[in-house]
Amino acid sequence: MRLRELVLKNYRNYNELELSFHSDLILFAGLNAQGKTNILESIFTSCTGRSHRTPRDRELIQWGKEEALIRTRVEKQAGISEIAVLLAARDKKKVMINQSPASRLGELMGHLNSVMFSPDDLKLIREGPAERRRFMDMELSQIRPQYFYYLQQYNRVLNHRNNLLKSIQVKPSLAATLPAWDVQLAQTGSYIIQQRKLFQDSLRIIAQEIHHRITNGTEKLDLEYKSSIPFQTNQLEEIQQQFLQVLEERQKEDIERGITGKGCHRDDIVFHINGADVRVFGSQGQKRTTVLSIKFSELEYMRQETGEYPLLLLDDVMSELDYSRQQMLLEYIGKVQTFITLTDPDLIPDLKHKKMQIFKIHSGTALPLESLSF
Amino acid sequence: MNYYIEPIARLINELSRLPGIGGKTAQRLAFHIIDMPRDRLADLTRAMIQAREEIKYCSVCCNLTDQDPCAICSSHSRDRSLICVVKDSRDVIAMEKMRDYKGVYHVLHGSISPMEGIGPDDIRIKEMLHRVNEGEVKEVIMATNPDVEGEATAVYISRLLKPMGIKVTRIAHGIPVGGDLEYADEVTLSKALEGRREM
Repeated sequence: MRLRELVLKNYRNYNELELSFHSDLILFAGLNAQGKTNILESIFTSCTGRSHRTPRDRELIQWGKEEALIRTRVEKQAGISEIAVLLAARDKKKVMINQSPASRLGELMGHLNSVMFSPDDLKLIREGPAERRRFMDMELSQIRPQYFYYLQQYNRVLNHRNNLLKSIQVKPSLAATLPAWDVQLAQTGSYIIQQRKLFQDSLRIIAQEIHHRITNGTEKLDLEYKSSIPFQTNQLEEIQQQFLQVLEERQKEDIERGITGKGCHRDDIVFHINGADVRVFGSQGQKRTTVLSIKFSELEYMRQETGEYPLLLLDDVMSELDYSRQQMLLEYIGKVQTFITLTDPDLIPDLKHKKMQIFKIHSGTALPLESLSF
Repeated sequence: MNYYIEPIARLINELSRLPGIGGKTAQRLAFHIIDMPRDRLADLTRAMIQAREEIKYCSVCCNLTDQDPCAICSSHSRDRSLICVVKDSRDVIAMEKMRDYKGVYHVLHGSISPMEGIGPDDIRIKEMLHRVNEGEVKEVIMATNPDVEGEATAVYISRLLKPMGIKVTRIAHGIPVGGDLEYADEVTLSKALEGRREM
């Protein structure tokens, strides 16, 4: 897919911005704190309805303004579509797809897909399981609208159940309503677990091959979905039953602690290199390489699932990569429309030979430059 | 800020507290009310107060009514062995418009929702068990909303009724009749697929 047009209004430090893209490589160059990342962020927000940097829409709206708009025109194999995301300070965000309003945020998923490389990616390895669940959820939501729906339902049921657990401490008779929530938690949760496991299975195969290439065969990467619900066959019925059983077994403990201790909101995905957990035993370099392999796999996975490559968003990462890894990234250019932010295009000499558009970003404005002028 | 004279401001404020009425609509309604002939306004206020005073809960099905038991519960053409459980009175109206349903109702006036602190004792579940205990009921149809709260309410009630030997059914979720399959969203479709039946 190709992004052809991006319009921003009152978005972060952009009053009004209109960009059109006609090539496969787009550079946003400029000094720090001028708004390069904001552009990539706005593209990402059109894909998922959420920023990769903050869960609060308020921060995306220009200071003192009530609303912000992101409008994109996307060219896909299936044709052209237009997406508008309207962010409001005091209201829910609204999404328009081809001029007709979407009733749920979930409808947005899948119209525009992207994979973002950013300096924050290392969090995927370094931080706690929540970060890795978010990664799986973002990925699956973009590909399967049902997944996003089930995830919302699950979180709602979980929220109810946790509230109920706390109420039971005060009024034990309420425990009789617990099964009504357990059934739904197991129903929605089993779908989430099943999809995550399938995701891990496909991603594993792709990531192993890519990691093999990046490390010249010296390292073997492996992925493991670690669920707090034990299951063997990845059949919905089995997971659901196991889920219910775990909830029943833990009921007393859950009530005492006032929180649901097991379920897919506690699951994790673990990365191994040559058999050792990267998070615990990996060197800084191994962590970086693992993240890179996973990100590349995301690209390939999305193509496998949707039939075309997503957009590639590279936020300030080129300078961190060594030459051979830069080369690997650049290999994708041509197949994948790529948006890169950097301080100075001259730092990456190999870019010079590519056909590209350059925008000079300076305090909320974007000035198109001919590539020759660099 | 004070561009409204006080009585109008107060009226607008009261109106905007009604559900579905925002600031603009409240303002339009307020100015409309001020322009109304006195006797029409008197009719309106009387209708409102009368409705509030004369309406009570049916002692059988808990629906809103002006006579007790309500018209549906006291009708002889209704099948008392079949109860349809709904969340509120508006749902009864929706079912009645269908004209095909010949059973009676039970109105819960809410759903179980721990987030809002609503438990089974806060809605009309006890009244419903009492009815079932009287022995006439054969089947209970759970027609609560297909959201997580409605589903939890349905599951909870069905678990209470099943040991009593009552047949409990749940209304189907899926493709609206007369709708096109291609326009159904993925979630509805997958629900419809889940609830498919043999032909």
